[in-house]
Amino acid sequence: MPEAPAQATTRLRHNPLWTRAFHSINLLVLIVMAASGLQIYNANPVFGGRGGATVPELFTLGGWLAGGRDWHFGFMGLYALNLGLWLALLIQRRRRRLGELGDLSALKASASGPRRRLSAHRLTYTLMLIVLAFSLISGLAMYKPAQFWWLTSLFAVAEPFGVSSWQALRLSHLATIPAMVLLVVAHVVLSWRIGGLRLLRAMAL
Amino acid sequence: MTDAHPLNRRQLLALGMGGSSSLLLGGCALNGVSTAVGNASQPLNERLEALLQGRGRVPEFRSDQIDPAALLVNSFNGVPRLDPQRYRLQVKGLVGRPLSLDLGALAALPQHTCVMRHVCVEGWSAVVAWSGVRLADVLRLAQLSPLAGYLLIDSADSYFESWDLASALHPQTLLATHMNGAPLPAPNGAPVRLSAPIKLGYKQSKWVTGLRVSATLGERRGTWEDQGYEWFAGL
Repeated sequence: MPEAPAQATTRLRHNPLWTRAFHSINLLVLIVMAASGLQIYNANPVFGGRGGATVPELFTLGGWLAGGRDWHFGFMGLYALNLGLWLALLIQRRRRRLGELGDLSALKASASGPRRRLSAHRLTYTLMLIVLAFSLISGLAMYKPAQFWWLTSLFAVAEPFGVSSWQALRLSHLATIPAMVLLVVAHVVLSWRIGGLRLLRAMAL
Repeated sequence: MTDAHPLNRRQLLALGMGGSSSLLLGGCALNGVSTAVGNASQPLNERLEALLQGRGRVPEFRSDQIDPAALLVNSFNGVPRLDPQRYRLQVKGLVGRPLSLDLGALAALPQHTCVMRHVCVEGWSAVVAWSGVRLADVLRLAQLSPLAGYLLIDSADSYFESWDLASALHPQTLLATHMNGAPLPAPNGAPVRLSAPIKLGYKQSKWVTGLRVSATLGERRGTWEDQGYEWFAGL
């Protein structure tokens, strides 16, 4: 490497172990959950029902409905545990790292570029946690609609608009996939701008 | 390499990225692992499901929420036509009094209606009103043995199911003879089918002709379960 020797000897400052564990476990678990979720989607597409277009096999996991369910419900516990531990640790130790309303005004008004980027980033990953939590809640409402009827019935807010609560539930659970894809892209791009590959490595490995 | 690790972090990152993308691209290779993943997680999931279900009755829907058009018909082997005159429901196995009930005998038992969300494993659901007798009433009439643990359910189309006894005795588990206030249509399981708000649709056998009480589960756990679907399938 044609880099200055001083830089080459600088050791990578890793994020705490729990940050790295959360990031790498989450990446794996989210890919499994999304791909197996799309496999389940294909058994009865949310858009169009039985005649609806299905997701290409390339993006699915499980081979058929039962296989997709095996993965989805096999990994949901890991997903919930990982998210729950992370949220608990964040709230306990890193409260000031989460986004807040001040970030919105900083985003609008701050003259400092780095300050705006920090605010955008804090909002991005706070939003990710909210989407992940929503995915868990909507998933639970669909997995056990009889036992968690109070969760499922929250989705009846869509009924005045002519959408059944079940369809609203399916739609919003599905919508967490594109939402997470966008947020992950934003998270990676923003991290890259701050610290490049070094930061990404420090985050996940 | 001076690093103590067998792989440096850059290599590990590349490996991780390659690995996760191959998860997408080479998903087919992982499809064979699905059953193992299911087998590893289902015992715990089933325990939690049974625990949740142990809380008893679940809320029902209002009759104006019934949506007949939403209920799709799934059948694994066509629609058997059963003669109501010659129909008999056989109850045997670990019971003190084996039964052979005709439709008149079923109609003479207390009738119940359950307006419930019928959820198919495929992902769709429909609010349906099922009416008939409680499965628990029929099983108690047959005097369940204390050794009883499972209920095996035979259908006229050779569909097969097995239930845990607690789910079978649930107060909202019915042997339905009516749907949305009218006699059960043949495609929906006439003259007698299972219905329960606490189980996925494939557990709710249509054209039920035989109930066998057993202490154990056999090799066959159900037509779809033997293909890979979950056995408990609670909602």
